[in-house]
Amino acid sequence: MTGTAKRLTMEAFDRLCRRHLAAGTPMPGYAGPLARHVADGDRRLLKLEYDDSAAALRLWSFLLTEEERLHAARAAGMKIVGAMKDLGTVPVMAYSLPNVVAFYPDGAWWTPCVMELSEGLFGIAQSLGLGDALCPVRAMAGAFINQAHFPIPDLLTCSVGATCDDFSAVAQRLESLGHPILWWEMPSRRRPESGEAAVTLPGGFRAPASQVAVVRSELERIRDALAALAGSPLGDVELAAGIRMANRVRRILGELRSLAYTVEPCPMPALEMLIAEMLAIHFCSDRAESVAVLSLLLQEVHTRMAAKRGVLPTGAARLFWVNPVADLRVMNLLEDCGARLCGTEFLFCHALDEIPEDLPPMESLASMALADPMVGPSADRAARIVRDARAFGAEAVVISRIPGASHCALEGTVIGRIVREELGLPVVELEVPPVADPMWPTLKTRLDALVETVLERRKR
Amino acid sequence: MKSVVYSSPFVPAEWIAAHGVRPMRLRPDPAAALPSTGPLMGVCPYARAFTSEAGTSAGAVIFTTTCDQMRRAAEWLSLEGTTPVFLMNVPATWQTPAAARLYRDELQRLGRFLVALGGAEPSRDRLAATMETYDARRRLLRGDLAAMTARGASEAIARFDLGEEPGNGGPPPGTAAPLMTLRGGSPDPPRRNAASSQSLTPAGAAGRETRRAKTETLRSPTSHVEEPAAHKTAASGAAVAVIGGPLARGDGRLFDALEKAGGRVALDGTESGPRTFPAPFDRRRLRDDPLMELVDAYFGTIPDAFRRPDTLLYQWLSRELAASAARGIIVWRYVWCDMWAAAAARLREATALPVLDLDVTGDASEFGRAANRIQAFMEVLK
Repeated sequence: MTGTAKRLTMEAFDRLCRRHLAAGTPMPGYAGPLARHVADGDRRLLKLEYDDSAAALRLWSFLLTEEERLHAARAAGMKIVGAMKDLGTVPVMAYSLPNVVAFYPDGAWWTPCVMELSEGLFGIAQSLGLGDALCPVRAMAGAFINQAHFPIPDLLTCSVGATCDDFSAVAQRLESLGHPILWWEMPSRRRPESGEAAVTLPGGFRAPASQVAVVRSELERIRDALAALAGSPLGDVELAAGIRMANRVRRILGELRSLAYTVEPCPMPALEMLIAEMLAIHFCSDRAESVAVLSLLLQEVHTRMAAKRGVLPTGAARLFWVNPVADLRVMNLLEDCGARLCGTEFLFCHALDEIPEDLPPMESLASMALADPMVGPSADRAARIVRDARAFGAEAVVISRIPGASHCALEGTVIGRIVREELGLPVVELEVPPVADPMWPTLKTRLDALVETVLERRKR
Repeated sequence: MKSVVYSSPFVPAEWIAAHGVRPMRLRPDPAAALPSTGPLMGVCPYARAFTSEAGTSAGAVIFTTTCDQMRRAAEWLSLEGTTPVFLMNVPATWQTPAAARLYRDELQRLGRFLVALGGAEPSRDRLAATMETYDARRRLLRGDLAAMTARGASEAIARFDLGEEPGNGGPPPGTAAPLMTLRGGSPDPPRRNAASSQSLTPAGAAGRETRRAKTETLRSPTSHVEEPAAHKTAASGAAVAVIGGPLARGDGRLFDALEKAGGRVALDGTESGPRTFPAPFDRRRLRDDPLMELVDAYFGTIPDAFRRPDTLLYQWLSRELAASAARGIIVWRYVWCDMWAAAAARLREATALPVLDLDVTGDASEFGRAANRIQAFMEVLK
């Protein structure tokens, strides 16, 4: 290793930003110091540490200006779709239309973290009867009420069925408050029975062909609704083009993940990788710009690789992370404990896999939607984790439970059991609340212990 | 005869029986749940209890996808490999022909599972005859319920669900409450027509496909339901509706606690009560297409919190709360049940009635806390 790119405090990150702006580094109009977002209440930014690169500057500015983009889209007369829960399917369809943007109101999940609970979304949710028995996605209901975060969409869709009870309950409450929702069914993905026509889904899961047909018929309803909203047809030609563009994002991200999770020394920090992966699900409301942002990150990784320069010391413990963390700062913590990310399964791996381009577009989209790890058996999900952890060379697995999420307890236990059996790796379960500061010593101790275990195992 | 155990009201007993397999809808005992059934934290006590007991009490177990916990519990039990497990996909949506078709297809898949267990695929006539038998028994049961105490009625339903004939073990002497103290649902609930044979055709579905659920205010400020005179004179205690999830074995103590606190159960809207009875079968359609009649009677009519939209539940509540003249609602739910946890505030808004959100753990030693809360709630209603 010839050097280590230090993580920067927000103050240093903003200095870097100002230097780039002063030097005339090409930056889009949305780029700027993070202090402006802190002034708007995003106080968690003060406690995060950031990658020392222009690519990271652009990534963070892109992420944190999404609400402005949505409001600008509304002002420009574009139609806004609030896609809920499917994490990666409906936006591919929506962005196939020229005058439609789509986003996930689910993203409000992170608002209490980013604003360190100062925004009051959980309080509003509580007043609606959505208390802490439900997962942090209940913040979404608060955001619909106070309308301080995203514009109210022109069309709301929500996948239900074999998805998530917390989400379904929160979305139903929203509808009761006067936000009509187009509900669409996501069947519980099952393994094909003997003699039953089956297909292999993107990512490798197997499912009965009849279930793909069910999802396809449900997505046809979404297609009709989108076309009606846009006032223009959403034909297979448009969808095929939309799929190609989505795949462009996924390919770049795929290469970025492959390098960031395997190359030694680690060329991109965990926190930036988490944000980068999130871009795949709805392009952060600007598909073309998400391509540019991810391309820059990839370029930065290549530059660091050529210079044998990493962001962590060589030999960091290689962790595979399961489920998104409600507190972004935990991504910094794992590195502080001497670990690095070597693979992730943030509940949207179906949004990372390329969508088949050799099938009718609606069938491709249905196959992709049905590959959602959440809608199938936990054993399927575990098999994918085992496969990816093996491919990325992970030495341990962290299952990050989501507070209040009804699916996590049994699911995490099943995944942990299978991972231990198949890979023989140590597995740790953590629960990460939206602001994890009070839990910091506990989380750090558990991660420290895991890293120690990994390092000890290397000596065998 | 082999038996299969299940919990969800969306599993038709007559479909199982028609295959020559004994259906047993189980009310599990949370106190007897094995500690090894999943982690302690975050697992619904009811799901744990059902999984624990079902895994040792029958030839096979049927779970449904109507809640996260039971869906995951099915997998947990499957991994144990000790009992055949069938996970039935019950769609959350219900307004499209595709949803009803999916439910019908799942029944057929369940049928193949039952045949693999040693059952036999039923002829149309056999299915129709079995359905007629169940329909008649259910009608008899409905008639019996009106004269029972809340606990007695609940236990009669539990016995019915285990396959006992109505009338056996009816209300013990001295336990019969004044006439019409219990209402658990209309004797002949109206069809929602969500899944009729006709609705499975694209043309019949056109209107529904674009339908949007509307928030319904069950009681407007000017439409408060007057308590029928019969209730005022025939029964004592404040009338309360109990709405919510399933009852486990021993949860009849809920009704006892309520009555001890000076209330009376005017409506049992738990998942284990008459709310989840299927609609009576249509005789003509029963003969023409019994499977579709089964789909329509179950999938097309049973109101529940997991359905999207949940309009059927609030339509049912509108009708039944008015008929029962309930003055308050107790939401009965096990901890970690998201669907009913989120429903409590909505019920409060929609009905303008006082609502007690009663979360229980299934731990017998903690029932005292629930009983105290019920007592306080009843004092508020007095």
